[in-house]
Amino acid sequence: MNSAHLVVFAPVDNTARVHAVVRRLTDAIALGLLGDGEQLPSETDLAAHLGVSTVTLREALMALRQQGLIETRRGRGGGSFVRAPARPFDLDERLRSLSAEELRDLGDHYAAIAGAAARLAALRSLPGDVRRLRRSLEEMAGTAAGAGMCRLDGRLHLEVAAASQSGRLTREEIRLQAEIGPLVWAVHDLPDRRGRVDAEHAGIVGAIADADDARARDVAESHVLNAVERLIERRLAL
Amino acid sequence: MPAEPPAVGAAAAHVRATLDGVFETVARVRDATARCLADVQRAGRAPVSADLAALRPLLLPRLGPLVCGLGFIAAPQLLADAAWYMEWWQAGPAGRPCRLLRDLDPERSALYDYTSWEWFTGPESGAERTVCGPYVDYLCSDEYVLTLSAPVHVAGAFAGVAAADVFARTFENEIVPVLREIPAPAFVVNAPGRVMASNTATWPPGAVYRESPGHAARPCGDGVHCVALGVGP
Repeated sequence: MNSAHLVVFAPVDNTARVHAVVRRLTDAIALGLLGDGEQLPSETDLAAHLGVSTVTLREALMALRQQGLIETRRGRGGGSFVRAPARPFDLDERLRSLSAEELRDLGDHYAAIAGAAARLAALRSLPGDVRRLRRSLEEMAGTAAGAGMCRLDGRLHLEVAAASQSGRLTREEIRLQAEIGPLVWAVHDLPDRRGRVDAEHAGIVGAIADADDARARDVAESHVLNAVERLIERRLAL
Repeated sequence: MPAEPPAVGAAAAHVRATLDGVFETVARVRDATARCLADVQRAGRAPVSADLAALRPLLLPRLGPLVCGLGFIAAPQLLADAAWYMEWWQAGPAGRPCRLLRDLDPERSALYDYTSWEWFTGPESGAERTVCGPYVDYLCSDEYVLTLSAPVHVAGAFAGVAAADVFARTFENEIVPVLREIPAPAFVVNAPGRVMASNTATWPPGAVYRESPGHAARPCGDGVHCVALGVGP
């Protein structure tokens, strides 16, 4: 059997479980929930925490190792360690694997989720929710481009999603951030984009604070679509 | 104002009793944590994260149909070996308790300065009982939950927060039957104004209740005065 057959013919339940573990840990690393250099618990402990067998966990760790997201050291003081990408994120390399159509479709999906979340957040936010969003904006104002800014950007959008009071929209936001977040953040960090992106973020928070649901949705949608348009332009220029 | 239907008093009492039941569990965690930390202090050393493992026999059996998350969240810098730490357990999908694994250090992870959440700021600023939520808990469970919390003090100093999570849907299932006995639109609302459970689609859980003509708010008891029952015309 070639490797494709191995994957296709693997027991369904186990494949789904491996995929779920890989996705969970990939999301956590992409969103900075697991920090660079952080040691994961032992295989036995981690498998127990996640409620999967050690065989399933080992398969998942192998996939993460191949993606360069963890590193396993043997011997005393050994174990699995999180590896945030050492070299700067290479936007063009990442874009090469995506067609303009796929980018557009990802953008459509993300804009739908971000727009719906922002609209509901405007309808349902209490002063405490707005304070949390403003705090993120302030922290972003004092942060230089780079990983720290990406994390704050991700956090702000996660806070907007949570303010919608929808667990499903929030989980979808987390999933989409893991999938398209690094691309969007790389575009946001381009020197000529920063000012406009800051204004869009302030616009989303302002509309939510004003309980203006239509404006919140419009700004959140165009915030995603502007970034995706830029990604498509860049992809087509490669 | 028309006389209050008798079912309103009964519903308020049930809301209070339900929250009291969870707060009893929180109080046991609070007391056990305070004892544990005081013992370490008496032994003349600074507490470390491993000391808190002593709480597990208390925490694990209390996870179940009502409480879906339980534990102690340390005040930053309390522990000698981890500036940010929570001994936090959740009911896993298969019913088995799972320990929460997250990098909580805000230096490394922008997401998780937990000291800004109401379940932390309430106890920190002296409230004996805080009801936070319902809110989407992207820190721990990615679910819609209520967090009930109480401060832990050691030798008079704030050491952190004992807390229990209840899924919003669990609370709703517990409360809606008594709300349905009320012959008018009625809902439970938390202090900032979020609907927690309701007998009407006009005010679903998660909606924001802003003072509305014809509605009367009735506190649900002294200990949990921050939760009120809103009854419509």
